Amino acid sequence: MSKSRHPALRDTIIAAVALVVILLIPAVHHSPAFEDYVIRLAAMALFATSLNLLVGNAGMVSFGHGMFYGFGAYAFALMMQLTPMSLPLAAVLAVLLTTVLALLVGAVCVRLSADYFAFVTLAVQMLFFSIIISWQSLTGGDQGLRGGIPRREFFGFDLGSQGHLYTFCAIVAVLGMLALRHISASPFGTTLRMIRDNENRASFLGIVLWRARLAAFVIAGGFAGLGGVLAALFVSGAYPELADWPNSGQAIFAVMLGGIDTFLGPLVGGMILLALNDVVTRVTEYYGLVLGIVILAFALGLRRGVLDFLRHLLAARAR
Amino acid sequence: MRKRAINRRSVLAAGTAGLLAAPWVARAQGKTLKIGMQSIFSGPIALLGTSSRAGLQMAVDRINGSGGLLGRQIEVVYRDSKGQPQEAARVARELVNSSGCELLIDAEASSGAFAVQEVVRDLGVACIHTASETSSLTADPKIRVATAFRCARQGVHDAIAGSTYLAAYSTEKKFTKWATCSPDYAYGRDTTKQYLEFFKKFKPDLEIITEAWPKLGQPDLTEVITKLLQAKPQALFTLLYAGDLSAFINQGNVYALFSKMTVATPNVDYPVLAAIKNLPAGIQSATRYLETFPDTPANKAFGEAYHKKYNELPTNWSWQTNAGMHFMEAAVKKANSTDGKKIAAALTGLKIDSPFGVNGTLTMRDDHTLVDYAIGWGQTVPKPPYITGVKPAVWGKIVELETDWKKQQHYI
Amino acid sequence: MVTQTTSGLIVGMLLFLVAAGLTLIFGVLKVVNFAHGTFYMLGGYVAYSTLGATGSYTLAVLAAAAAMALFGVLFERALIARVYGSNVLMQLLICYAVVLIFDDAVKIVWGPDFHAMGMPPAFQVPPLFVFGGVVPPFYAVLIGIAALIALALGLGLAMTRLGKTVRAAAINPTMVSALGVNTTLLFAVVFAIGGALAGLAGALAAPVRSLSPGMGFSILIDSFIVTVIGGMGSIGGALVAALLIGLLRGFGTIGFPGFTDGLIYAAMILILVFRPQGLFGRRTA
Repeated sequence: MSKSRHPALRDTIIAAVALVVILLIPAVHHSPAFEDYVIRLAAMALFATSLNLLVGNAGMVSFGHGMFYGFGAYAFALMMQLTPMSLPLAAVLAVLLTTVLALLVGAVCVRLSADYFAFVTLAVQMLFFSIIISWQSLTGGDQGLRGGIPRREFFGFDLGSQGHLYTFCAIVAVLGMLALRHISASPFGTTLRMIRDNENRASFLGIVLWRARLAAFVIAGGFAGLGGVLAALFVSGAYPELADWPNSGQAIFAVMLGGIDTFLGPLVGGMILLALNDVVTRVTEYYGLVLGIVILAFALGLRRGVLDFLRHLLAARAR
Repeated sequence: MRKRAINRRSVLAAGTAGLLAAPWVARAQGKTLKIGMQSIFSGPIALLGTSSRAGLQMAVDRINGSGGLLGRQIEVVYRDSKGQPQEAARVARELVNSSGCELLIDAEASSGAFAVQEVVRDLGVACIHTASETSSLTADPKIRVATAFRCARQGVHDAIAGSTYLAAYSTEKKFTKWATCSPDYAYGRDTTKQYLEFFKKFKPDLEIITEAWPKLGQPDLTEVITKLLQAKPQALFTLLYAGDLSAFINQGNVYALFSKMTVATPNVDYPVLAAIKNLPAGIQSATRYLETFPDTPANKAFGEAYHKKYNELPTNWSWQTNAGMHFMEAAVKKANSTDGKKIAAALTGLKIDSPFGVNGTLTMRDDHTLVDYAIGWGQTVPKPPYITGVKPAVWGKIVELETDWKKQQHYI
Repeated sequence: MVTQTTSGLIVGMLLFLVAAGLTLIFGVLKVVNFAHGTFYMLGGYVAYSTLGATGSYTLAVLAAAAAMALFGVLFERALIARVYGSNVLMQLLICYAVVLIFDDAVKIVWGPDFHAMGMPPAFQVPPLFVFGGVVPPFYAVLIGIAALIALALGLGLAMTRLGKTVRAAAINPTMVSALGVNTTLLFAVVFAIGGALAGLAGALAAPVRSLSPGMGFSILIDSFIVTVIGGMGSIGGALVAALLIGLLRGFGTIGFPGFTDGLIYAAMILILVFRPQGLFGRRTA
């Protein structure tokens, strides 16, 4: 069982290959529905994988991750609607602002013990949501930001065209995932997992727990904000539902369904959830019933996410 | 090497599965003409979706029965957005891009309709909104879209008509002290504001002594009711609707609220009337859909046919989707095509015969919204026809004041 | 003033019934029952159908409580028992799946539209006038019943053998099991009680609130807030917190119509940061 000597290089190559494949698919078979799926998946993958940096890696269960996703969407959409700034600049600023928010929220929450941390993140998200709804003059209240996001051209991209949007989202998502992968595989990531497994030992080794946790929280928040930017581009606006806690729940389900212990688990979980949504809603009105049964099958049957299950299976076989 | 292999394997497996999934292969266009209808079919306002669907289906059955549209049988593809705007956007795109729908009838409420509007802006498909009453959807030039129209009542029209009636009523009864109770979200706040603006204009000595703003879908209205009772207004204006209105009336009855103040609301739909066991008499109400207003055989026939088919009475949304389909039919015939731009040209200014119009006709105005539909106000009685003494609104006056309002909002 | 207080009490008492079950389940089983709103919803619908079928509101209320007790036991045995000791996310997943399934099941059985049960004939009487305030008899009875239940719960936990076992199990389940108590049975009983309480609340609320699929959602959030503020596992805490929130809502609509919610969430955050065990809870390690 040899390990690659240059894991970073290996990951980058995988990412590059994946990106090329994704970009080539529309050339082989043009399907607008598939492109919509990939665009939404791009947002969801960043959202769920960033959550897993907290949940799977640091052992910090956050119920309120949706607030950063939503904030990223609103910040981006507002800047595009209210100012003439260029799209990439607005996106970067939105992500930066989201990281600041994550810093502020994290400073309050991160020192709490596990159970309480989960609930306080939920409470902060609900507070944030109620602010969005009440601050009608800025956010449009429950109707969200209407009128669409002006898609100003940049570097030859016109995001008004679905093909360009597809390419843009694929690139952003793959780069974002690669970045998260590097963070997760870095010594910092190892530190987080050590804290998750045995925080006393970690602290005896001189690690300042709250600083590591806060850093993880901030990074996760930032990437969730990036996912929010992509989500805003898809709906061409921003709506409060993006920051509501059922949406946080979606990310949690993606992580659980795909595998909490595997880096690509949340991505796979997101694929399953979005695919189910697309397929089931065409066939029946009772989407909730079907989704509920599927979730039960995963939770009771596999008892772990898909990729975790596969890894265990293959590990067992190898013995 | 195992970890690497699994990573690659999982990526490949995921990718292949994605590719092979059949749903993403767009289906070819056939002889049937597919129309997409999306709405809210679950949750507290599921009635919106179910009654819209019923109204639309009646129109479609009629068209199919007489040979279809442009010789093609219509098939409606229904989707539930559950009231989530991002789902509404996805569904609209899916209907057009993958399910082969050439036309859209959008029965989404509020934020869903705005989300669909942006999709329509991008895709250029012909779309008639049949549920959103928010004026800005068509009145605001920044939000208006070339191929999107609205066949539904509009907030500002109702506000003008309603406040005209209520001002006259208040003067007759010598009421000056009113209270308001509306759901605390965009529709509730904006529409209440609109009503009050015109109300104060027609009756300058109007005094709003208290306002209550329950949350939409809030199960317990007790605190709101007690607040109103304490304030002792002579009359109450409320924009609560569907389940909330039903809860309000039931809970209000417990406190004998209705004997202490006159209640005025534009939102008494038949299903609300059916759900309430002890409907108080004397509630001043607008007609959302009423079989006896307009008092014509055509209107009555619609109500009876609907009742026969679905075992319930039509709602406001039922007639709006029914009329929306009627407009779509007329426009397609006129343009002899389902192309978005051609239909938009045909719809602009289009007039159709309709049982729901004031003089037997409905018009789709230049600014893409419906006018000349029947608006009336009367008072409730506990048994059918449920609303009596209906006074129709005057459209000339409505349009005049609406134009002023649009100027005030800088829409024109 | 009296009217406002009564309305706050009503909201608070109903909330207490639901939250009591939630906090009991968490206290003893360390399970956060995210499906608790579904018990409330089903209780309301069962009461609605029973009233329709038999014409007796008393029967309707009892049927709802009994049905939800049974449902609670089944839910615990079939699903929750499999994830004791697992990640809280697994529990969340299972509970949420149940919520999804039953929201649709209710849609299938009773239809997607809202239903109104209407006030039972016995209570269709004019309201009482107490100290210048208005108090509908139905609400007076409701507050009375809820108060009795609170008393019964409190006394039951303090004095009966079962109650003492439940409290002991909340502190140290392994020890209790080692002492020969059938913890399987105990856990099922706790879920039965929790479910019955929520179902009862649903049945009591049904005459005045509208029934619709998904109505469990808002009461679930509120119950969480109550449980957190009152203290996970503390019935007394749930009572105090529920009444506080009820009264805040009752009087809040005078002062801050739009932002009562925001205040409540802010309060929840403050409690979690400065006194995470809630007002009356026990500090867990």
